[in-house]
Amino acid sequence: MSLFLHYLSLPYLLAGIELTLEVTALGLAGGLILGLILAWMQLSRFWWLSAIARGYTVIFRGTPLILQMVFAYDALPHIGIKLPAVLAAGLALACNEAPFIAEMLRAGVLGVERGQIAAGQALGMTPAVLMRRVIAPQAIRTMIPAFGNESVSALKNSSLASVIAVQELTLRSTQLASSTFDFFSIFFASGLIYLVLTGAISGIQLALEWLLDLDRTSRERKLADYLPWRRVDLLTKPELAEKNAPPIDVVAGLEPDSPAPPARTLTPEERARRTATIARNNVAVEVKDLSKTYGQQNVLDGLNLTVRVGEVIALLGPSGSGKSTLLRCINHLENWDAGTVRVGGRRLGFDDDGKPLSPRAIANERANVGVGMVFQQFNLFSHLTAKENVAGPLRWVHGMTRIDADRRARELLDRVGLSHRADALPRHLSGGQQQRVAIARALAPNPSVLLLDEPTSALDPELVNEVLEVIRRLAVDDGLTMIISTHQIRFADEVADRVAFLSGGRILEEGPAHEVLSNPRNPVTARFLSVMEADKTPEPVR
Amino acid sequence: MQKWPCGETRRASLPWRRAILGAIVAAGFLAPLSAQAAAPAPCAALQEKYPDWKGKTLVNAINPHTPGYESIDPKDPSKYVGFDIDLGEMIGECLGFKLTYKAVTFAALLTTLASGQADIVISDIYATEERAKAADFITYSKVFDGVLVAKGNPKGINGINLSLCGAAAAENTGFVEVPLVQALVPQCKAAGKPEPTLQLYDNNANCIQAILAGRADTYINDVNTVDNAVKAYPDKLEKAIAVTIPYSVGIAVPKDKPKFREAVTAALTEIYKSGDQLALLKKWGLDPDNLKEPGLLTVN
Repeated sequence: MSLFLHYLSLPYLLAGIELTLEVTALGLAGGLILGLILAWMQLSRFWWLSAIARGYTVIFRGTPLILQMVFAYDALPHIGIKLPAVLAAGLALACNEAPFIAEMLRAGVLGVERGQIAAGQALGMTPAVLMRRVIAPQAIRTMIPAFGNESVSALKNSSLASVIAVQELTLRSTQLASSTFDFFSIFFASGLIYLVLTGAISGIQLALEWLLDLDRTSRERKLADYLPWRRVDLLTKPELAEKNAPPIDVVAGLEPDSPAPPARTLTPEERARRTATIARNNVAVEVKDLSKTYGQQNVLDGLNLTVRVGEVIALLGPSGSGKSTLLRCINHLENWDAGTVRVGGRRLGFDDDGKPLSPRAIANERANVGVGMVFQQFNLFSHLTAKENVAGPLRWVHGMTRIDADRRARELLDRVGLSHRADALPRHLSGGQQQRVAIARALAPNPSVLLLDEPTSALDPELVNEVLEVIRRLAVDDGLTMIISTHQIRFADEVADRVAFLSGGRILEEGPAHEVLSNPRNPVTARFLSVMEADKTPEPVR
Repeated sequence: MQKWPCGETRRASLPWRRAILGAIVAAGFLAPLSAQAAAPAPCAALQEKYPDWKGKTLVNAINPHTPGYESIDPKDPSKYVGFDIDLGEMIGECLGFKLTYKAVTFAALLTTLASGQADIVISDIYATEERAKAADFITYSKVFDGVLVAKGNPKGINGINLSLCGAAAAENTGFVEVPLVQALVPQCKAAGKPEPTLQLYDNNANCIQAILAGRADTYINDVNTVDNAVKAYPDKLEKAIAVTIPYSVGIAVPKDKPKFREAVTAALTEIYKSGDQLALLKKWGLDPDNLKEPGLLTVN
């Protein structure tokens, strides 16, 4: 025991810690830089970059670190690169860590919901802004445990530097054991030193998790919750948060946070007057001969649609009829094979000569033209509060100051009846509330057109009305141009000026809402409507 | 080698601590000068003849796991001590260079030299034809191997012979004893006995631990290393026998630096002639029979 303590405090061994840490730090820092490059190459849209990165990964993940160390130390000098031992070890460790770190980064990036990325694109974020504001903050949070793992393994792997004469802890221990024959006391001592070092890394990891925990601000989450013997059921957390929040969502239309009072229904006279006004308005969206195929299937088959300023169009039709694809083409979230789309007279996604624009240029154009989009799955940025979901894009895309953006966000949340939940995270909101925040977010930049892709299909039946109420007010009170794909026939009847019935990527029938819905001329439309009529309950969640 | 006893007396006179501290510091500064004086007289002529390394600091790659030859000093682990270490310093003093040390595994000694990460290897390495393809050797010591076994020699091992059949031998990767044991495989087969097995480790300590843990039956290595192991574990280990091995211990130098090889050989010859090499053997408790006039082993 006394020998063990003697070796534990021996300056010779303690001095080895410094080199161990140096090699580890070089390996991790270099590995992170290399890993970032590798991950970027693999995610790039150029296939040859990703092929190079794949090749590197195969080689450096597939060969033992000990060989790489010896290579960096003994082989590089033959081509004129004679690195000091510590640097050679750091280089080998970095090259070895890089593919692992790259895979972590890639998993983190790919783990961010695709929907949030589509939402960011629809808001006009360039790929760089999207990466920095939406993907990275979420990816980093999910990567911390893996990165802690990697750091611990790098620290232990640094002991292999002993084969290339780096006087780190392990080499010092074996040398000392050879000269003193106190084999076990020495290795227990150096083992304990390694434990202390790896323990410190675990501590840093837990502290970082605590610091970046989004629930830390919404609910008192103590550092102690992270201790291994504490059990915090992550699933109950949203409920806890809800409990602390004011009561909500009791009955649609009556709940305290609903946008009071409900919009009234238009009388036939008012409707006629509205139709006449719209007919004189400019064209907001013009879709001509739009065609798109997925493999064999025609998703859009020479589709034509014209929408005038202030008009509300409901797209009806069975699943797979092309409603969503049409909406995604209008703001160029998807490419198409033939035809043109003009928004406000501009050909979105192409320059004056008709050449396709880069993703960055398309993003800027989206922001300028102003096409807002609301998604079936809400697609709120899950790491941002309701207010930040609205205010963030205003700052990052439209260059608003924080004060202006916050004011606008509060104003819009108030309009959708959610000012009291401004600081809540999306996961602490009900589906209906999330969709209302998403609508506020889409409205914030004052879009000229708002596209709504089955905005209520993912909602529980009792939450549908609060969202429809918001949309109804936008149509009637604000005169916003909207294209809504929906299964809510009654809602379409009340709110839409015109309905278009899609099937097989074409418009089978279109016309004034009330007329088409009560007197369909096309037999397919008639059959669809009678099925929907028979099934009065709202569309179940798909 | 007068430096050493002198150091002992300095350490002994405790009451004059402060003055002595100053003296040690002063001695530290003066050490190179006094060393010069201590080196054999012809060294001055050698420095004139081979001026290229004068005032330089060279790197000596060692596998510091062989107490007596090279290991860290248990009292001050920041220093390496042993016969090879002293011999290297003496050669350095004679030619006017200093040495720093690079600790590597035994198998990496010659690759380290070949890659230019070290200038010289003085690490109880046996000069063989095979190794001479990677480096030139200046031989300086005869080789006697000891056969280390567990106390009581339960397997009755009595040399590198058929008594090893069926035994497990622990050896360091790259040691010359490895092919010697391997050569017994067909002989044992022919005699209708089980083959000997080899366990390859990285350093002496691991080989000795293999016997202590009952994993290996024997470890055949330089006799002084074996004696040191027995000294450390007198209740558990013993030396079965000492055997002669047809090799010499050599200093390895790069093949592409014949001038350096020449200079080291000349310096070593002076150290041999002056009797300093014999004194070193005695100082480290090594068998004086190891003494050998410097020679060369090179192959093309």
